[in-house]
Amino acid sequence: MLNNFVLPDTLPAASEMIVCSMALLIILVDLFVSRSQRWMVSLLTILTLLGAALMTLVTADGQTTLSFGNMFVDDLLADFLKFLTYFAVIMMLIYSRSYLAERGLDKAEFYVLVLFATLGMMVMISAANFVTVYLGLELLSLSMYALVAIDRDSVRSTEAGMKYFVLGSMASGLLLYGLSMLYGATGTLEIGGVAQAVNQSEAPANLLVFGLVFTVAGIAFKLGVVPFHMWIPDVYHGAPTAVTMFLGSAPKLAAFAITMRLLVYGLFGLAMEWQQMLLIMALLSIGLGNLAAIAQTNIKRMLAYSAISHMGFMLLGLTAGVVGGQVDPFTAVNAYSSALYYVVAYVLMTLGTFAMIMLLSRSGHEAELLEDFKGLNKRSPWFAGMMLIMMFSMAGIPFFIGFFAKFSVLLATIKAGYTWVAVVAVIFSLIGAFYYLRVVKLMYFDAPVDTGPLRSDIDMRILLSINGLAVAFLGMFPDTVMSLSTTALVRSL
Amino acid sequence: MKTTYLLIPLAPLAGAIIAGLFGRLIGRAGSHVVTILGVAIAFALSVVVYQDVNAGNVFNGTVYTWLQSGGLTLQIGFLIDPLTAMMMLVVTFVSLMVHIYTIGYMVDDPGYQRFFSYISLFTFSMLMLVMSNNFVQLFFGWEAVGLVSYLLIGFWYTRPTAIYANLKAFLVNRVGDFGFLLGIGLIAAYAGTLDYAEVFAKREALAAITESVTGWPLITAICIGLFIGAMGKSAQVPLHVWLPDSMEGPTPISALIHAATMVTAGIFMVARMSPLFELSDTALTFVLVIGSITALFMGFLGIIQNDIKRVVAYSTLSQLGYMTVALGVSAYSVAVFHLMTHAFFKALLFLGAGSVIIGCHHNQDIRYMGGLRKYMPITWITSLLGSLALIGFPLFSGFYSKDSIIEAVHASNLAGSGFAYFAVVAGVFVTAFYSFRMYFLVFHGKERYDQVPHDEHHDSHSDDHHGDGKPHESPWVVTLPLVLLAIPSVLIGFITIQPMLFGDWFGTSIFVDAAKHPAMSHMAESFHGPMAMALHGITSLPFILAVSGVAVAWFFYLKRPDIPAAIQKMAMPIFTLLENKYYFDKFNEVFFAAGSRMLGRGLWKGGDQLLIDGAMVNGSARAIGWISAVVRLFQTGHIYQYAFSMIIGVFALLTFWFNRG
Amino acid sequence: MEFKTVLFYIFATVLIVAALRVISARNPVHAVLFLVLAFINAAGLWVLLQAEFLAMILIIVYVGAVMVLFLFVVMMLDINIERVREGFWRYLPLGAGIGILLAAEMTIVLTGRYFGLENLPNHSFPADYSNTKELARALFTEYYFPFELASMVLLVAVIAAVTLTMRSRRDTKAVDPATQISVKRADRIRLVRMAAEKEQGE
Repeated sequence: MLNNFVLPDTLPAASEMIVCSMALLIILVDLFVSRSQRWMVSLLTILTLLGAALMTLVTADGQTTLSFGNMFVDDLLADFLKFLTYFAVIMMLIYSRSYLAERGLDKAEFYVLVLFATLGMMVMISAANFVTVYLGLELLSLSMYALVAIDRDSVRSTEAGMKYFVLGSMASGLLLYGLSMLYGATGTLEIGGVAQAVNQSEAPANLLVFGLVFTVAGIAFKLGVVPFHMWIPDVYHGAPTAVTMFLGSAPKLAAFAITMRLLVYGLFGLAMEWQQMLLIMALLSIGLGNLAAIAQTNIKRMLAYSAISHMGFMLLGLTAGVVGGQVDPFTAVNAYSSALYYVVAYVLMTLGTFAMIMLLSRSGHEAELLEDFKGLNKRSPWFAGMMLIMMFSMAGIPFFIGFFAKFSVLLATIKAGYTWVAVVAVIFSLIGAFYYLRVVKLMYFDAPVDTGPLRSDIDMRILLSINGLAVAFLGMFPDTVMSLSTTALVRSL
Repeated sequence: MKTTYLLIPLAPLAGAIIAGLFGRLIGRAGSHVVTILGVAIAFALSVVVYQDVNAGNVFNGTVYTWLQSGGLTLQIGFLIDPLTAMMMLVVTFVSLMVHIYTIGYMVDDPGYQRFFSYISLFTFSMLMLVMSNNFVQLFFGWEAVGLVSYLLIGFWYTRPTAIYANLKAFLVNRVGDFGFLLGIGLIAAYAGTLDYAEVFAKREALAAITESVTGWPLITAICIGLFIGAMGKSAQVPLHVWLPDSMEGPTPISALIHAATMVTAGIFMVARMSPLFELSDTALTFVLVIGSITALFMGFLGIIQNDIKRVVAYSTLSQLGYMTVALGVSAYSVAVFHLMTHAFFKALLFLGAGSVIIGCHHNQDIRYMGGLRKYMPITWITSLLGSLALIGFPLFSGFYSKDSIIEAVHASNLAGSGFAYFAVVAGVFVTAFYSFRMYFLVFHGKERYDQVPHDEHHDSHSDDHHGDGKPHESPWVVTLPLVLLAIPSVLIGFITIQPMLFGDWFGTSIFVDAAKHPAMSHMAESFHGPMAMALHGITSLPFILAVSGVAVAWFFYLKRPDIPAAIQKMAMPIFTLLENKYYFDKFNEVFFAAGSRMLGRGLWKGGDQLLIDGAMVNGSARAIGWISAVVRLFQTGHIYQYAFSMIIGVFALLTFWFNRG
Repeated sequence: MEFKTVLFYIFATVLIVAALRVISARNPVHAVLFLVLAFINAAGLWVLLQAEFLAMILIIVYVGAVMVLFLFVVMMLDINIERVREGFWRYLPLGAGIGILLAAEMTIVLTGRYFGLENLPNHSFPADYSNTKELARALFTEYYFPFELASMVLLVAVIAAVTLTMRSRRDTKAVDPATQISVKRADRIRLVRMAAEKEQGE
């Protein structure tokens, strides 16, 4: 009965196992530590992630390994993205420690949910089968729903959690429906198998496209692009800032990963179809995101719209892979690596920006209005400078990392022959520069409302400074991250 | 060797950063120690590189890839060949001398550390410019030296004249840069690469293309574009107007930047681009004519100047014209040779002038000097040597380079070479005349240092002891560089003419199409060693002209000082013309400056305020504000509306792709 | 027509009608009961496909446990049906329009020949064939990884539910008798020694 079953090689999934078992352990540990020893939980979480990072680093051999009956893939792209994910999460944890403590949110459940969400992202990143894509996504989403609503004393937080839950479930339904259609059309759940079946095109094309539409809709919800973006502003706004930071950073890496796995690996044969879908959504996102951000007075909401437009930009990179039905490996790698670069740059900038919001927040005061940034230069020139770097970088002003992200994506777009798209994108990002620069103006030219000095832990200050300088210096040496992205993609494609 | 190459520009950069950012912390002594150390390291390593290149090692490669995106690669790369090695030596040596000299010259200045930081930064930029192996880096160095020059001309930023001068230098250079950028852009567009070697490899293909907009041969458009850049930086007529004014800066930088190194960047660049220029006779003629006009007419202006630094400045202009003429007749090696000898003796003359200025308590007017020979013996002797080199006295370095230029022009068959020959030969007389006019007025004759009118304010940031006391010799930090510079000013030509001009020293770094432009090969035939050349030089026309120039100067300014005044009265119109520098400044002031101000005001009022501000900026801002308010309305907060928007999204996608499959 | 086909159409029709009634029923209790009906019919369809284990699970877990729980919740809550229905008629034309068009498109695509009966492999298993055993084997061998992941998803659901519901309300006035009893004198009274003060003379 079990004669043809071989025990799977578990080594590629070692870091997943570390995160999972440590999450279970932390629930138990929490029962035995008192309130004053809470820091242990936070420390354990960070150590877990560092351990996972170490394990990923040790087991990264640049080879593509399939395991668990071809459900799990461990390639260089996965290792690269996982590695970034760990560090995004660690940075989030360090940034948000005192924020959470001041609001009584530093419960063990928070850390456990963060770890499970991380596990979900890791599963998504390594998914080689529709089932694992979906389960990873659910693991992430479910943890996220709870995290968004974790501040039960805040009506807004609860409401945001509820909205996210309902809409997210609907999007999961769309994705699941799309995937089941693709299963019906190709007869397999394995992404590699789907790719083969699509190329041999046994199934009628309209059936494949039908499945594709729903799949794209599901992915688009995760990325938060128009018209599947409606949850983003409300959830970003309602969730506690620490959770918003989490939501806005690492999951984008995972969403990029499943986009790559599903569309680029699995449905490459339909590239001409999904590229156009993504192109339309990208343009709508860039337009709407930038326009709507201008009208916001709440910085978290503003950043939510900015996230929409940034994801639109990222999608532009994905639309430039296949030109005129011709697959040119060089163009394709170039386009996808520009999108990857964009995501990495975006995560780094987002972490820094939300960290600034938390830096300004004190217990009982959420510094989430644009006004809270008034006169920051007088209170702390150094951190005003950091925020300046973040804003300039997000606006795409040379020579910060955000500029090169935009630059490479646009270059890929132009190469693919969509010059008009690049022009439109540039125009909207110019419009978008307005609201980023408005923050700078408030910091430097307006009188502070709150003149108190900034109080924060030294580790947060150091990390934030490193983060800001990284945004500046990686912009001066863009080749470092770019060549990493390219290598990761080339070795994995 | 790669590390060595990297270290050469980075050592001065490190010095500049330390002195610039931590100047207050490490103090004055600290600042000059770190910067001099940085430049000294660069110089020492340049010597090492020079030896290496002499042994036949040429390096061309990437040191660091800055950005690779799509097909476009931007990298930092070095091209180390004999031309570069020579430039590196000249730049670092003169810079080192100037650094040392500055200790003495700037001793009272409150901006001491800032000054050291700037000149080190300049050395870095210049090294990046000459060592570059691609146009991007060349342009970076080009702009960086322009920036430092701007900063240094306006070093005494409280003086309106200095601010005016640095603004002028900056704007005039922008005009040149426009052409330069155009040239680079054409290369990038048609050759598809910005790497020298790759561009040169495609030169034949480029030569065959006709530029579509102007209808010119592409290569001519490129070369003229590049040369316009060179005109700005190397101060050729009509973009020369900034150089005399740049004398507002402290004297050491006049020596370093506006005489010895930066202004030669244009000459260097054209020599570096010789494979391209060789393809276009039109461009070469353009170069030749511009050069000869500069050489002769700027010399005339030197005659009537009374400010010691301005005399030297006009002589620089004239000498740059000589170099450009040499470029025009395809004698690139001669141009570079003159560049090198000129760098030494012009730095010497400038530093000598600076020493005189210190000695005369920051008085710069040569009418109020005279007889300084007694008080400043070292300055006197070195200045004499420098002047002899400048006028091309046989055996001195300037003789070899200048005579070679004249020979090359003589041998050339290019259109316009007849005029050029006249200009350079006549220029010899003019050069000799104004050089020795200055020399005699400063060092000989009646002592007039006590006649300084007290309302004169020149280089007078420390005019507390203005006009009182006798002139005195400068401290050793000032005279040591003079002596060290005097040595090469005298000897370098004799030593290096053989390998540089007629040997194969430059190798492949300079390309001459001998069949089309035979000037160099003609010269090589008649060259029989430096000594023979000097002997032959004594009997030649230029020597006679030079000697007569000196003699006339002596007669006018020592023997019969009343004659110049009489001539001035007689030839008043010419004098007025020269006094006003051929009305170039006036013309620029009235036509370009006022014209652009008018245009600017028109655009500001009509275009900016009305159209852009009123209609476009405020209009579009209002429109965007309105749109974003509308968009905001969609974000109702009702969950069913959000869900519905998703459904509509799916529906739209599905409908759109319904028949696509 | 086989008897199986007749059963299929009965189950399918009832399923669709029940599903429609779930969203159109005015009374939430009725809606839940219609949902139960829909599940039972779905279970019937699975039995027709020889997936008896899944059919049983659906009845036992969904109908037996989840829906009963749901029914309790719905019965205990006082849902104002009119407020929920607010705007129903206003949005109906647009919603229904889009819904019908969407459904039409789906129908056109899915009723193509590809999913036709003749294109499906004809699995006809012997009577002693155990669907349960087959499922178990797949679940614990090939699908071991997703199985474990699913367990994590459930665990997260538990943690999330506990986190979001177990909380001490800050505004509650209820007192805990245990803390009241264990209170000590030092918690309530602070003795302060102070010098006697002279009254200010008039």
